Amino acid sequence: MLDQQSLPSSFQFSLRDADIERRKIIVDLAAEDISRITALKDVIAQEGDRYTDDFFRYLRDLGEAPALFGRRDAFAEAKRRKREHLTALTNGVYDQAYVEQRAALALLYSRYGLETRAFLGAFHHLLRALGGDIMKCFPDDPNGAFQRFMSLKKVVFFDIGIIADVLMSERERTISQQQDAIRELSTPVLQLRDGLLILPIIGMIDSQRAKQLTDDLLRAIRANRARMVVMDITGVAAVDSKVANHLIQTVAAARLMGSTVIITGLSADVAQALVALGVDLGKITTTADLQGGLEEAERLLGYRVVRLAEAPGRLSA
Amino acid sequence: MAADATHVVIAHDGDIVEARRKGRELAQRIGFVGSDLTIIATAISEIARNIVVYAVHGEISLSEADYGGRRGIVVVARDEGPGIPDIERAMRDGYSTGNSLGLGLPGARRLMDDFEIMSTVGQGTTVTMRKWKR
Amino acid sequence: MAIPILKQADVLIASLQADPTDNDLIQLRDELADRIGRLRSIGVVIDVSALDVMDSFATRTLRGIAQTTRLRGADTVIVGIQPDVAFAMVQLGLTLDGIVTALDLEEGCARLRKYADDEASRGS
Repeated sequence: MLDQQSLPSSFQFSLRDADIERRKIIVDLAAEDISRITALKDVIAQEGDRYTDDFFRYLRDLGEAPALFGRRDAFAEAKRRKREHLTALTNGVYDQAYVEQRAALALLYSRYGLETRAFLGAFHHLLRALGGDIMKCFPDDPNGAFQRFMSLKKVVFFDIGIIADVLMSERERTISQQQDAIRELSTPVLQLRDGLLILPIIGMIDSQRAKQLTDDLLRAIRANRARMVVMDITGVAAVDSKVANHLIQTVAAARLMGSTVIITGLSADVAQALVALGVDLGKITTTADLQGGLEEAERLLGYRVVRLAEAPGRLSA
Repeated sequence: MAADATHVVIAHDGDIVEARRKGRELAQRIGFVGSDLTIIATAISEIARNIVVYAVHGEISLSEADYGGRRGIVVVARDEGPGIPDIERAMRDGYSTGNSLGLGLPGARRLMDDFEIMSTVGQGTTVTMRKWKR
Repeated sequence: MAIPILKQADVLIASLQADPTDNDLIQLRDELADRIGRLRSIGVVIDVSALDVMDSFATRTLRGIAQTTRLRGADTVIVGIQPDVAFAMVQLGLTLDGIVTALDLEEGCARLRKYADDEASRGS
């Protein structure tokens, strides 16, 4: 049995009743469909295990989601839930609980790396098996059998809609988390000495990252009581007027807090280009290289770097 | 349209504080955190002050917005003051140091995500602004 | 609710509480103008760390205080603007240009004394 800790408790894919009704309308699921579907209950129930095994064998043979098949408890959990799905499919009740049941399995799929396209392939394979068996059950009434199958397909597509949405939103969540982690790593604010912070920035700066940078820096200024900050942008990929304006805003906010920011790593070429674009660099102090910036900062803080006379060498011939 | 809106009458400067306090409270309930709270409160403060200074009397409604799964806050500031004859000019950055005629409008627009203003001379002004949770 | 003004040697310290009314700020301006003259202070440190919003009125008033103080031969330092408030002010376009700011009371007082020393050493 899969331990509860593996499924993030913060995950919640719940649909409002209005959304559920809307999705039913979208697949055109009506009362007569439901009565046809519930009539198939026994047909499906008999072969439930076979359908479940077939579904997963199809995926395995394709080589999809190896992580799922590698973990015995995860695989058992998935099969159990799939089996429950098949039973609920023909119950005729498609409510919050039904939706949550599908969402939970979809989350499991996502956790073990099942791609949407692979899921759709296996589901289609299952659908064909269901279709074939239904036709066999009503040999004297092929039209009736087909009608029943078409009604069942509506619920199947209702399911696919839910599962696909869950897989997609999980994927988005992962990407967003990864982006946050990267952002986290690339905004180290370092205290060089009392009252002096260095903020080396690396990579691309978009609006969201710029806001994050400003937030982090301003809080660091308060926490470290920094009167000076050297912000090095040598590693910033592209400095356009938007980025420049973000930087100017950061400098202005830091100054309101009583801290002076020196921007280093802004080459003369880029500076000229920015000025030509109408960016007012007059409000910020810049030096071309980090070393120069640090020296200026230390000077302004009142530090003086003095070189000691060389000590006599201990290693003598 | 607004479900459960909070209304704050704006008649004197004490109401400005009330409006931004209620705004901050609602924003917190919606789930805004950190600097967004300050930003929303500041925008409300500017708009509320405009009412006090130029219209003498007005009202601010605060409510939650829901759009495509995103949650946000809606601030509607209504007054029956003199109205703004040239909205375009008012929305241009008139902020030079010590400019006492500078309206808080362009600043509030920069702070918020959505910003609409309707004004008729002799009838009044309505400002609608929204901010969305990231 | 009046804003408390403390005297620390030759420096006046005013600590704004949360959400001062317009009247509070105007009163502060007048009080400071009066006391600086009487107490011969070298300057004023205004602590705004309790403010969660600095709007255009507050900024204008602080600027007015700094100007009044200057006219009486003293300096003003604004301290304690919080990170979120600083960011919102910049977005709003409020710059406090020409006014000295510092991180906290300690920095603010040190800055005032430094200015006073610089002026003294420049000689009369």
